[in-house]
Amino acid sequence: MFPIEHFLYLGALLFSVGLIVVITKKNMIMVLLGIELMLNASNLNLIAFNQLHTNSVNGQMFALFVIIVAVCEAAVGLAIVIQVYKYYQTSVPGEVNELNE
Amino acid sequence: MDIQSYHSSFFLTSLVSVLVIPLISFALSFIISEKYSWIVSFTAPFLLLISAFAAGVVFYYTWNNEPFTIAWHWFTSAGYTFTMGILLNNTSALMLVVVTVISFFVHFYSIGYMAGDTGIRRYFAMLGFFTFSMLGIILSDNLLAIFFFWELVGFSSYMLIGHWNEKPAAADAAKRAFIINRVGDIGFLIGLMILWTHTGTLNLVELGSLSGSWQTAGSLCIFCGVVGKSAQFPLFTWLPDAMEGPTPVSALIHAATMVAAGVFLLSRAHFIFPPNVLDIVAITGSITALAGALFALVQFDIKKILAYSTISQLGFMVIALGVGAPEAALLHLFTHAFFKACLFLAAGSLIHSLHQAQHQSHTAFDVQDVRNLGGLHKKLPFTFIIFILSGSALAGLPFFTGFLSKDAILTAIMNWKGSGFSWKWMIFGCAFIVSFMTVLYTFRMIWVVFRGPEKSTAQLSISEPPAVMRIPMALLAAASIWIVVSWNPFDFVGWVFAGLHPGKYFHSGIISIFSALWILFALLIAYLTKNKSIRSSMLLNGFYLPKIYHVLIEIPALQIARFTTQADVKWIDGFIHSAAYAQLIIAHVAGWFDRVIIDGMVDVTAQVSRGIGSFTRSFQSGKIQLYIFWAAFAIIIFIIWTLL
Amino acid sequence: MEEIVISLLIFIPLLAVFIALFFPATSIAPFRYLTLGVNLLQVIFLITILGSFELSSGVQFVEQQPWITLNLGSWGTLKAEYFVGLDGLSMPLVGLSVFIMLVATLSSWTIHKNAKGYFILLLILNAAIIGSFTALDFLLFYLFFEFMLLPMFFLIALWGGPNREYASIKFFLYTLLGSILILIVMIGLYISVHDPSSSGELVHSFNILNMSSPVNFISNSILDPNNPWQIGWFNARQWGFLLLFLGFAIKLPMVPFHTWLPDAHVEAPTPISVILAAVLLKIGGYGLIRIAFPIFPDGAIYFGWFVGLMGVISIIYGGLNAMSSKDLKRLIAYSSISHMGFVLLGLASLTPEGVAGSIYQMISHGIISGMLFLLAGVLYDRTSNRMIANYSGLSGRMPSYTAMVLIGFFASMGLPGFSGFIAEIMVFLGAFKSGSIGGPLHESMAIVATLGLLLSATYYLWTLQRMFFGPYHLKGNIGESQIFDLTKREYIMLVPLAAATLFFGVYPQPLIEIIDPFAKYFAEIVLKTGTSLKLNP
Repeated sequence: MFPIEHFLYLGALLFSVGLIVVITKKNMIMVLLGIELMLNASNLNLIAFNQLHTNSVNGQMFALFVIIVAVCEAAVGLAIVIQVYKYYQTSVPGEVNELNE
Repeated sequence: MDIQSYHSSFFLTSLVSVLVIPLISFALSFIISEKYSWIVSFTAPFLLLISAFAAGVVFYYTWNNEPFTIAWHWFTSAGYTFTMGILLNNTSALMLVVVTVISFFVHFYSIGYMAGDTGIRRYFAMLGFFTFSMLGIILSDNLLAIFFFWELVGFSSYMLIGHWNEKPAAADAAKRAFIINRVGDIGFLIGLMILWTHTGTLNLVELGSLSGSWQTAGSLCIFCGVVGKSAQFPLFTWLPDAMEGPTPVSALIHAATMVAAGVFLLSRAHFIFPPNVLDIVAITGSITALAGALFALVQFDIKKILAYSTISQLGFMVIALGVGAPEAALLHLFTHAFFKACLFLAAGSLIHSLHQAQHQSHTAFDVQDVRNLGGLHKKLPFTFIIFILSGSALAGLPFFTGFLSKDAILTAIMNWKGSGFSWKWMIFGCAFIVSFMTVLYTFRMIWVVFRGPEKSTAQLSISEPPAVMRIPMALLAAASIWIVVSWNPFDFVGWVFAGLHPGKYFHSGIISIFSALWILFALLIAYLTKNKSIRSSMLLNGFYLPKIYHVLIEIPALQIARFTTQADVKWIDGFIHSAAYAQLIIAHVAGWFDRVIIDGMVDVTAQVSRGIGSFTRSFQSGKIQLYIFWAAFAIIIFIIWTLL
Repeated sequence: MEEIVISLLIFIPLLAVFIALFFPATSIAPFRYLTLGVNLLQVIFLITILGSFELSSGVQFVEQQPWITLNLGSWGTLKAEYFVGLDGLSMPLVGLSVFIMLVATLSSWTIHKNAKGYFILLLILNAAIIGSFTALDFLLFYLFFEFMLLPMFFLIALWGGPNREYASIKFFLYTLLGSILILIVMIGLYISVHDPSSSGELVHSFNILNMSSPVNFISNSILDPNNPWQIGWFNARQWGFLLLFLGFAIKLPMVPFHTWLPDAHVEAPTPISVILAAVLLKIGGYGLIRIAFPIFPDGAIYFGWFVGLMGVISIIYGGLNAMSSKDLKRLIAYSSISHMGFVLLGLASLTPEGVAGSIYQMISHGIISGMLFLLAGVLYDRTSNRMIANYSGLSGRMPSYTAMVLIGFFASMGLPGFSGFIAEIMVFLGAFKSGSIGGPLHESMAIVATLGLLLSATYYLWTLQRMFFGPYHLKGNIGESQIFDLTKREYIMLVPLAAATLFFGVYPQPLIEIIDPFAKYFAEIVLKTGTSLKLNP
């Protein structure tokens, strides 16, 4: 049995990587991937913390729910990215700045 | 005639028709259309004939009878009723006849003289209007009404002098005549103001309560009006200029009637003149008489000779008024009206005949200039005889009316001057000198025109004017014979004189004889000096008075007028503009203050808030990743802060 | 109907304005005929008024309705009324206005540009003019007085000649200055006068008739006749007179406040010139007679010589300026100034003859100057050129026009037989007499003023000589075809005016008998109260 700290270290690492990807990557698809990474980090945390409550599977259930949401989010996100790409001929969020002008 | 006859409707109808018929003649000329303008030259003389007959009726009833008065309310103001009234006594009855008869003759004569003139309707209209206004002066019973017609006479004179208004000289002369008359009229008006203020009435019958210095001032002012209208020194300059008008007009207005209005007024208002003013009147009269005679002696224009002689004769009448003998003045006015009208008509017929002849032979010279004329007694015998008859009356030869009326004036002056030696002798002497010179210039005029060799007219075939012009001339010439005035050719106290002033009877046979001899002597001198002529440009130009007026009054007046316009533009408008500019400058300063200081403060506030705004705005770049970065950064800071 | 006939006169034009708003702006004829109809209707009302006007019964046809009543607590009550009426002063002036407005409408047939606006402004002006001649409440008068200004401003500024902006602004500013002076005195009077009809409480009213009676002044108020405040050189009542005098004198206009008039006249379209000269100038004189003199009789006595002197100066100065004018309309405008000087002179004499002559002169000048400006307009309509020097010998080509000009000019120079003669002779008689009955004028003023007669003869005859006599020729790009004689419509405008001036010159009694009772009463009251107020401070 791994101590819970390892999971937490991994989750924190994953989250950090995801966050950095979200912040730094220019391509919107990469940003979406970063978000997936962050969601997965949170899933890992949910499951790891569920170990502390042995007679309950709420953590797992919540993780499953997050996975479903992530799928939907990925689908909607990709659709938006495609539409944005069609309209602006770019998938770089920095170049979509119509409201700023 | 008893007093009742005045109220007969026949008399009143005649009286009204004398006055109204010329006015109808005036109005008729406007009703008749341009196309049928020839009708006017028949209706107008005909109407005047009726008027003259009516005047005869009025005269028949009034002469040597009680004065007749009638008044209509004109308007009421300030508790006083101004009236338009008629005061008919011997003087006005006589004048009534003179004016209507001469006016009729002139109308009649004009049929021939003005035939073919384009403005014939206007001409007869204004003749009718003039007659109406002149009759108004004669009949009016109060000074305001006299003033009313007095100015109207000036107006019709203006219209008639300027009848040929396309000639600049005529238009100019008309303007001058009116303005100079107006100078006199203003004096008259001031006289009216004085009388009104100090007597409260303007009615001739009621006036008389005036005394003291106001009487002097008032009567002097009224005399100013006389000086203007009767062309006395120094306002006589308009009369020679007025000769620009048609000659019949000169006969009617500028010889017989209008210029006599002043004399008539003086005789009518004689009783308000104090002795010291009468002296001034006499002196003015003698200066005018002398100056007029001198000017007449050197003129070349036949109408101007006659004009200056009119001035001189008017001066004679005014002397008579000044010496307190209005009846003598009126007698001279009466005789002068006929013979001077006749002379003018004769001059007119001369001009007419020569113009006709010129027209046929296409030659051009000034027909009015006597230097161009000569020897016309063969070609124009009728005109010559008329000239001789009326000229003799003007010169005052015995057996002519002029002799008698001049005699009356000389006698009056002699009685007035008294036996003691004083300045009054100068006026007496002056009168004799003037009558001497009258003979000279009359003789010279007739001699130059009708005797001697023919000059410019030698080649022309000249014919006498038509009968329509000859008849009035003949009748007027006949009125120069002594019988018209008195049965005795050496006694001026005939029916006219006695009627004008019953009771007063100064007769001095010595004067008659002396004056007759004096006139014959003058005739002799005139014959002997017939080929000599005096040249004096000072006299030719009337003492340069027109020029003096031009330099001393017209030019300065125009300069003042220009100056006031400048004042308007430069000072008043300049002040307004500079006030406006000052306001503009203040407005600009205020605007600058507004913009820079007050708006500046507002702007600073705005700038500050804008700076803050753009600083905070810089966070909202629209980049999602940046937002996320800031969110994460904030969370990290927050975590670090809580942990510490 | 008699009770509201004045209101009908005032408000029918305004009603017509309301109706006119519904017509499309592209058409011209409806506005013309509407305005003409209003004018004819006013003529009918005027005739009914004249029919029942009683000569010696003072103010008639009175309408008095509460208008503004404000309770100001301890400051009393402000009471302004709708108070109109007619008397021997306003009756002839209202008659003149109605008559002139009719003629002006006829002469407006030449206006094609934006007819809707033009005729609406004309109707508003009409109402304001009649209102100010009939108002007997100072506030109401002031309202109408100011109301006249705006239509006039726009009529000059929009339909005027090439330099119209300058002229209209000058006109507006001058008149506004006058209005301000009047306003100051109006406020002073409002503070100082109480309404005697409301006993007990303090009611400040604007009733002019109340103000004219010295007993209605509140004691120790600023304008109290018994104890007026001393401000600078004069006391408050004298200041009051002086300000009112200047305010109305600008409108009159009096030299040196006259320079707006020539400019306004030269630039204004013909009908507006006619209204301006014939009616609007009279408001100045009317204000003096109605307001300044009766309310401040002591001031009138004190400044009488000054008023007379300014009158004489206006007469001479206007005449001189007319003499050197090169523009026909300018000449007529200056002659207007000269003739309005007679109004001042007659008024200042405080004699019945002088005052009656002064009112008569206003009517006479209204008719004559209207005619003269129409005549100038006739020529301007044909050639768009008003320079005297550009014409010569017109009498041969335009005989009827020349005849009308002769009538107009001789009427204006006061030839007997025209109304100007009666007016001027009465002014002269009164002005000369003034000194001998205790009035403020010296004899010399009347004598100097007679020079004006000479000047008017000079400039008119000179103009006749230059423009109408002599050989016929034209200068300054005037085409031969532009010169033609009067048309029918022009006859219809000119002949009534010529006939009116002739009628009032030959038979003045009908007009004099309306004016005379008022003039007599006015002269006596002003002279009597004026001297008694001065004697017992």
